[in-house]
Amino acid sequence: MNALALALNFAAVAAIMLLLCNVGKLFGPTARHEGDAELPYETGLPPMEEAGRGMSALYWRFAVLFVVFDVDLAFLLPWALNRSALTGESLASVTVFVGLLLFMLGYFWRKGSLSCRP
Amino acid sequence: MNGISSAFWDLLRPQAALAVGALAVLAAGASRRVSTRVVKWLALAAVAVALLLLMTVRLQVVCLPLLRSDLLGSGLQAVFLSAAIPLLYLMEPADEIPPALVLGSLIGMGLIAVSGNLLMLFIGLELMSVPAYLLVARSRSPQALEASVKYFFAGGTASAIYLMGMALHFRAAGSLVLAPAPGPAGAAGLALMAAAAFFKLGAVPMHFWLPDVYEASDPELAGFFSTGLKAAAVLFLARLVPMAAPAGALVPALAWFAVLTILFGAVVALRQQNLQRLLAYSSISHAGFMMLAVAAWAKQGLAAPAAGALFFYLAAYLFMSGGAFLWLKAAGVRTRAELLGLAKARPGSAAVFAVLLLALAGIPPTAGFAAKFLVFWEAFKAGLYVPLLLAGLGALVSLGYYLGLIRDMYFDEAGPEPVKAVGPAPARWFALGCAAASVLLGLTPWLMDWFRPGMLGLRP
Repeated sequence: MNALALALNFAAVAAIMLLLCNVGKLFGPTARHEGDAELPYETGLPPMEEAGRGMSALYWRFAVLFVVFDVDLAFLLPWALNRSALTGESLASVTVFVGLLLFMLGYFWRKGSLSCRP
Repeated sequence: MNGISSAFWDLLRPQAALAVGALAVLAAGASRRVSTRVVKWLALAAVAVALLLLMTVRLQVVCLPLLRSDLLGSGLQAVFLSAAIPLLYLMEPADEIPPALVLGSLIGMGLIAVSGNLLMLFIGLELMSVPAYLLVARSRSPQALEASVKYFFAGGTASAIYLMGMALHFRAAGSLVLAPAPGPAGAAGLALMAAAAFFKLGAVPMHFWLPDVYEASDPELAGFFSTGLKAAAVLFLARLVPMAAPAGALVPALAWFAVLTILFGAVVALRQQNLQRLLAYSSISHAGFMMLAVAAWAKQGLAAPAAGALFFYLAAYLFMSGGAFLWLKAAGVRTRAELLGLAKARPGSAAVFAVLLLALAGIPPTAGFAAKFLVFWEAFKAGLYVPLLLAGLGALVSLGYYLGLIRDMYFDEAGPEPVKAVGPAPARWFALGCAAASVLLGLTPWLMDWFRPGMLGLRP
């Protein structure tokens, strides 16, 4: 009995998935595969080059640093929102936290990680 | 709002010293006038200060919302801080980043040692592991990058498994304090978190990353992984043990996985030709003995003597395994074939390695024997007879390669590829010191009580 229910469930799931995958084909207008219909839309002009080309890696350090400091900002936000309940001790700890961030920013700057030149 | 108590800062003092040291190392590296020699000494000074501060941390069992301290934690903290000293001294970094990474890893291990909360444990785990992946990538071996990526993915998987377990635990218990959680969700959560600990420890069947990492790392780094990182992983496992819902529910799993780990490591090591890989499998096998000690500790209701046996095993292992890896660095030997007839060419060097191997094998009167004896005795008291028997069998199998290496050195003619390279002199002194310490500790195990009275489990 349970096995039958499980099988019915699987069948229902498969049917719904098939339906959802093909609902556009069933009810939508017929697709045109001619001319520039397959081209990606780019401000109305024909694309100049392939979108899947290699990107320069010079920017990656910058990107990583951005993510790191962005996450740190997420830590600071709840602190700022609770400022009415804060004591001197929490001010001291958040000052240490921001100080560490500034130290590391200075370190990266000094090591040349902020420059986009090779 | 509760002020953060002074006990909180008291426990974090060694970690604070390491953090200040790491910042100083980075600042020194950023200023172009400071040489890497000064950077190295700064890092060593930070570790020394952390060790001194660790001695001053008050010796009671403290339980705070986030932190807790006990003898096992502070003892093992001393083990992994000491394990970093030869690494920091011997590594020849091109810049200040590797020493800072080592200090960062030590902060993470220290947080594991004092954490009383699953989230704190996770932060410690990540802070310990991420620098380790980067340190592997910086090794000289051509496979270093591959090993590092492998290590990263294995470690990342372990962290994800741990987080899943933590979420299940939180659902069952409604809190992240290290306390049992009721129901099947709690049990599943604990099982997942224990699996993550097995990953970090390199226990079978989660050991697959370990030989590749140890082989590709520089010998001194592999020695640090085998001693320091292993001590932290054991501590991580030990922190999870009291969370078993009927106390001691983890014991059968721990004991049987321990047996599997011991036997697997011993059997596979028999066939290894690369010495670092051989020592890596030997390290897997030893991790099994540590798990057996944890199981005995859990079975006896977290009795202090069993914790003492666990600590002594790791302290002895610090010298045995750390010394063996440092000897590889000192002698410039990589493969087993290069050992042939080494005793004739360099008798002193061969003798040091022979002592370390005898200690790893657990032959009296070395520290390895005393450590194994203590662990077996605790397992016997805990009534783990069958695992004990199989562990003994594993120890017997491991004699095959430890004594085989000694035979290669002493009773074989020099092979076609005699060793020409000789490593740096400080590595020789470290290896000699480790060999001496593993004999001394074997003769006088109570010397451990000099570091901390009651370390061998006379007090909780």
